[in-house]
Amino acid sequence: MNDKKTMVKIENLHKVFGKDSHVLRGIDLDVKAGEVVVILGPSGSGKSTLLRCINFLETPTAGTITVDGLTVNAGKATKEEETKILQIRKKTGMCFQSFNLFPHMTAIENVIEGPVTVLGQAKSECIPYAEELLDWVGLSDKRDVHPSRLSGGQQQRVAIARSLAMKPDVMLFDEPTSALDPELVGEVVEVMERLADEGMTILAVTHEMHFARDVAHRVLIMDGGDWIEQGPPEEIFTNPREQRSKQFLAHILN
Amino acid sequence: MSETQETGGCTIPPEAHAVLEEIENRQKRFKRNTTIALLSLTAFIFFLFYVIKLDFMFMGKWVGFILTGMGFTLLVSFLAISLACILSILGALGRLSKNPIANSIATAYVSLIRGTPLLVQVYMWYLALPQLGKALEDIGIPGIQNALTLPAIPAGILALGVCYGAYMTETVRAGIQSITIGQREAAKALGMTESQAMRRIIFPQALRIIIPPISNEFIAMIKDSSLVSLMGVWELSYRAIKIGRRYFQSLEMLIMVAFIYWLMCVVLQYVQEKIEAHMARGDRRVH
Repeated sequence: MNDKKTMVKIENLHKVFGKDSHVLRGIDLDVKAGEVVVILGPSGSGKSTLLRCINFLETPTAGTITVDGLTVNAGKATKEEETKILQIRKKTGMCFQSFNLFPHMTAIENVIEGPVTVLGQAKSECIPYAEELLDWVGLSDKRDVHPSRLSGGQQQRVAIARSLAMKPDVMLFDEPTSALDPELVGEVVEVMERLADEGMTILAVTHEMHFARDVAHRVLIMDGGDWIEQGPPEEIFTNPREQRSKQFLAHILN
Repeated sequence: MSETQETGGCTIPPEAHAVLEEIENRQKRFKRNTTIALLSLTAFIFFLFYVIKLDFMFMGKWVGFILTGMGFTLLVSFLAISLACILSILGALGRLSKNPIANSIATAYVSLIRGTPLLVQVYMWYLALPQLGKALEDIGIPGIQNALTLPAIPAGILALGVCYGAYMTETVRAGIQSITIGQREAAKALGMTESQAMRRIIFPQALRIIIPPISNEFIAMIKDSSLVSLMGVWELSYRAIKIGRRYFQSLEMLIMVAFIYWLMCVVLQYVQEKIEAHMARGDRRVH
């Protein structure tokens, strides 16, 4: 893994909401190409904010974010930085807890929306790949169905296909299974696993311990706005060093 | 859901059939009774017309003349609503803009126009604007007085369009704001710019929500277009009032013109329903 290039590099990242809500406190993090990193931590520890800073859905207050060689400095609001942020977003896909599919479009229209609107490709040009993606997430038969007719698990799988249509280098998962009925979690996790197998760089905030244990290369435990411990899952789960990690893991593993 | 449910070999018990039938009958009875009530109401109104000796011959004689005014009414309404739609989209974007100039212009527009009577605004465009033109010409802008002296119909279209644009600005703004933040985030995460997200994701969804209130505005405008009669335009209501006064038969003329307005609004309501049904594709609530 060490000889791979760095895909995501976060340096001294701070995020302050309002005036004094210091949510991220100087995070440094390197993620290599093809690496799967799972971020764990108690509620309010800043996991989601960290993830959302990587594609600038939250604007960092200080620090730098580098994705695939493109570096953006927080605090600089120049045209040039804006352009770089758009480029970073094209390189990163994101899946949300509440799916956020576009309800006025069918599954296939959702999937081609990125390539058509953002990359300016012709519809006919993107449809074969979009169909391939829907097939890959097991939803070929839902091609022309609107999201309101899909189950949560199906919606999240379409959302993954929608992100993948942009051919991203990194996928960000923000609690992708938290809004799902328990019996639907498996189908989404299975897609995430296959994505990891194909060598996608993944950063995921998730409570799916099975995914963290079996698929992640690295687990990061956050608390109070910074990671307190990180390492391979077997190490973190069996032998956490930090007292706070132990408490947190004891809590969720029971 | 469109999928039929598997009953798995279990049949629906006979007493349940009776319940289902009763529910269906209740709906049928309701429909039948409403139709009867509506028909009785109509009959009663015609009976009233008979009792008060409404002069249908007189109405028949003038209906053609009154209807010729419908052209003006429709022309003014359609052009004014088109202007109002454009202004309301610009206004809503301004109200939501982070640009202080755009934001304050939009806010002032809505506040000023909503806060003054339409009647005053109509006269402002028609009577006061030429005076402003003269004042500007006097301080050295050539030709401005002529440009600002508007004929009745353009003045009416501007007055109605600008006024309704202000009300509709708030409707459009509310529609845009009703779309969840997650939609904008999903669009941004794909790499869309603000304007792409607005055009492709936010606005199409907002449009569906604002169709009923916008139709309301359109229906109200059809009727408010009668205000252009103030400037001597021979539209529907102006003709009816003129003829009614001339022959002392205002009752006939006003009932007739009211009926014509009502018919136009019924047609619009029908169009609204069609558009709404078309826009509701993919919405679970309607199935």
